[in-house]
Amino acid sequence: MLHVETLQKSFDGFMAVSDANLIVNKGEIIAVIGPNGAGKTTLFKLITGHLKPDNGKVYFKGENIVGLPPYKICKKGISLSFQIVNIFNRLTVFENVQVAILSYQKKSLNLFSPAKKLAIKETNEILENVGLIDKADNISGSLSHGDQKVLEIAIALGNHPELLILDEPTAGLSPEETSATIELIKRLNKDLGLTILFCEHDMDLVFAIADNIMVMQLGKTIIQGNSDEVRCNTEVQEAYLGGGSDT
Amino acid sequence: MITLNITISGLFQQILVGLSRTTILFIVSSGMSLVLGVLRIPNVFHGSLYMIGAFLAYSFANFLGGSITGFWLALILAPLGVAFISFIVERGVFCRLYEREHLMLLLFTFAFMLVFGDLVKLIWGSDYRSLNAPAVLQGSFSIFGLPFPRYNLFLLVIGPLVAFGLWFLTNKTKIGKISRAAAVDREMVGAVGINVSWVFAFVFIIGCFLAGLGGALVAPTQNITQGMDHSIIIEAFLIVIIGGLGNIWGALLGALIFGLTDSIGILVWPQFAIVFPYIAVVTVLIFRPKGLLKSVW
Amino acid sequence: MFKGLINRFSFSFLIGFTILFLILPHFLPRFYIYFFSLIFVTGLLATSLNMVLGYGGMYQFHHAVFYGVGAYTFALMLIKTNLSPIFAFIAAPIASAIIGLIMGLICVRLSKLYFGMLQISLGSLVWAIVFRWYSFTGGDNGIHGIPIPSIISSTSKAYYFTFIITLISLIVMYMIVNSPFGRIFQAIRDNPERSEAIGVNVKRHQLIGLVIAAFFGGIAGTLFVVVEGSVFPDLMFWTFSLEILIMCLLGGWFTFLGPFLGASIIVTLRTVIGIYTEYWTLVLGIILMLLIFFLPEGVLGYFTEKYKGRFKTPIVNKE
Repeated sequence: MLHVETLQKSFDGFMAVSDANLIVNKGEIIAVIGPNGAGKTTLFKLITGHLKPDNGKVYFKGENIVGLPPYKICKKGISLSFQIVNIFNRLTVFENVQVAILSYQKKSLNLFSPAKKLAIKETNEILENVGLIDKADNISGSLSHGDQKVLEIAIALGNHPELLILDEPTAGLSPEETSATIELIKRLNKDLGLTILFCEHDMDLVFAIADNIMVMQLGKTIIQGNSDEVRCNTEVQEAYLGGGSDT
Repeated sequence: MITLNITISGLFQQILVGLSRTTILFIVSSGMSLVLGVLRIPNVFHGSLYMIGAFLAYSFANFLGGSITGFWLALILAPLGVAFISFIVERGVFCRLYEREHLMLLLFTFAFMLVFGDLVKLIWGSDYRSLNAPAVLQGSFSIFGLPFPRYNLFLLVIGPLVAFGLWFLTNKTKIGKISRAAAVDREMVGAVGINVSWVFAFVFIIGCFLAGLGGALVAPTQNITQGMDHSIIIEAFLIVIIGGLGNIWGALLGALIFGLTDSIGILVWPQFAIVFPYIAVVTVLIFRPKGLLKSVW
Repeated sequence: MFKGLINRFSFSFLIGFTILFLILPHFLPRFYIYFFSLIFVTGLLATSLNMVLGYGGMYQFHHAVFYGVGAYTFALMLIKTNLSPIFAFIAAPIASAIIGLIMGLICVRLSKLYFGMLQISLGSLVWAIVFRWYSFTGGDNGIHGIPIPSIISSTSKAYYFTFIITLISLIVMYMIVNSPFGRIFQAIRDNPERSEAIGVNVKRHQLIGLVIAAFFGGIAGTLFVVVEGSVFPDLMFWTFSLEILIMCLLGGWFTFLGPFLGASIIVTLRTVIGIYTEYWTLVLGIILMLLIFFLPEGVLGYFTEKYKGRFKTPIVNKE
């Protein structure tokens, strides 16, 4: 479904991503791992159009989407949930998800019908799904960090994506919140049939839920394969797993 | 409406006039750019300081008896007076507000502009004043048979001097280097143990000093009136935008474009000469929306 | 149409105010009628600015241009053409919207502060042209004694006309800010990057918002002409734009009616203080400073915050 070929991006001479390759098949959960600074977030932002790659191709459902602005890529069915909480601070939780749905339903230029009456069912469905329905009327800026991370995902779901990209969905969460989020990811994959691409630091977690793992180091893809293949790869062991690094 | 009978010498004369105008514009807008680059404040009362600089130059020169030394002293004392005012404003109020968003800061500087505007009216009255340059700089000499005021030539000398001074200050002195670093990353500068607050104060005062200097220098060439602050600020905005926010050399480039298109425009279509700099600005922005030179942020 | 837009309480409030303002002219001396008309006009202007400022988070620093263009278009149509005045009423806001579109196309690609500074500059060009084009716009003298159609020319008729148009405009604007468009506009204010990521064409949205605000600014301009019977370049001078911004700030720009309240306060203060001193701007400057220090959410914002606890989050992200 998603096919990334030799993607490159440098910032002021610093190669953040030098040779990224990735294949995502429909219905899979794919994890991208790699030490800090390996270029995971940059890779995601390149796929979703928030950054423009210097070189390389990104195919989504057979179509090259490199160079499109984020809003167009989103319309094609790719949603990104950000690493750093990136929500609409002054809107309520409900409104946060609702705007995403309104945008998906192409109602963004509707000037006169009251927004209060629109997309209520869809919004509540998503809020229920992620477990934020009780806090629907709270101002999102006043939520706890954990709830905001979940809201992040909920907003991304509002666009009815086929491919959901989660940039460190569990960063800064407590162990309980983390396991809840993992459950959520599994459920979204199973119940809604969403294809999910995410990156994560916790190795056990990655090996537990990912169908397929891509390892990045210094902006390069080392290997992509299932958990056994990745574990056995000597390069990965040297660079990452066996090195006893703190990540 | 548009009559084109431009002679080469006439064009040359207008270019010289434009260049001397550029000097004033550069001095004022480089000060604004400095403050914008380092402190991130779009300083609306920069124009007021320019006006105050002009009025102060007038008052100092008169107080000192209208002699030649009086004039030179006034040119130095007026910007210093302006710098002193800005010092009080910065330490008194602005240093408490740096964390606020741009909009609030802009409105705050606007509040000062309103207050300063009326204070000038209170102190100097609403009549216009004029300041005569000393005899050496009065009159004009001829270039290609057309008169060119001596004072403008003096401005043409001052401009590069100020530019050099600024270059020296920002590139060769320690405080200048620190300021440039603070423009890029203020937390970093704070982290290495430098008192960022005082760096800001320093930059702010230098910026305001330049506004005052511009005002003092322009005083002998035009009437010193209320409302001087309003027009210069718009011009400075434009110059800073086309040059790149916070870039002093951008301000120089912007001032050149603005000064020259304006003065040549006067030759082409006197009533609407003002349109020409804008056309230049819009053209620049269509191709380089972030300004000609790299902006600091 | 209004179901779901306002609750019963606000609705009865609205009806009450409407009736009050409709019968008011019967009890008040002429000056006060004129004074209230002026408040309506300025309130409408401030509210139209706030659509892009408070709801869209755009640094609309030169809104007065649209006000002035509306006023001048209206005045010039009445004087220079023989068309029915209705055309003038229609043409004025459209002219403002077109100026808004042109300025928007140039500015909207730029980020916040750039946007605002460039808008001030471009607006000043419009001002400069009006200021110097003596043969057409009357230059710095402006145009006086504009032949307002007799059906709305007397003070109280102008009052009623202004009131009704203002009311309708406010209702339409209220609908817009509460529409899906308005919701997404608010989302853009809070977080443009994220808005882009949920499939919103941010720049286009901002451009449309700007044009709508300019349109309503133009309506306020025509109303000003109806009330005052004259136009002058100061209507679109940039300091006036910042004054409108102060009105929004004073009333509270995260509320719908705040700017209207702010406009009423400023107009009242200017009228009252103007009696005692010619240094009105000094007073305005001091008010503004106090405001920024002590009441950054504005008067109405302060009270809604107090009673709803809605605004606990840090104000608008820094750039």
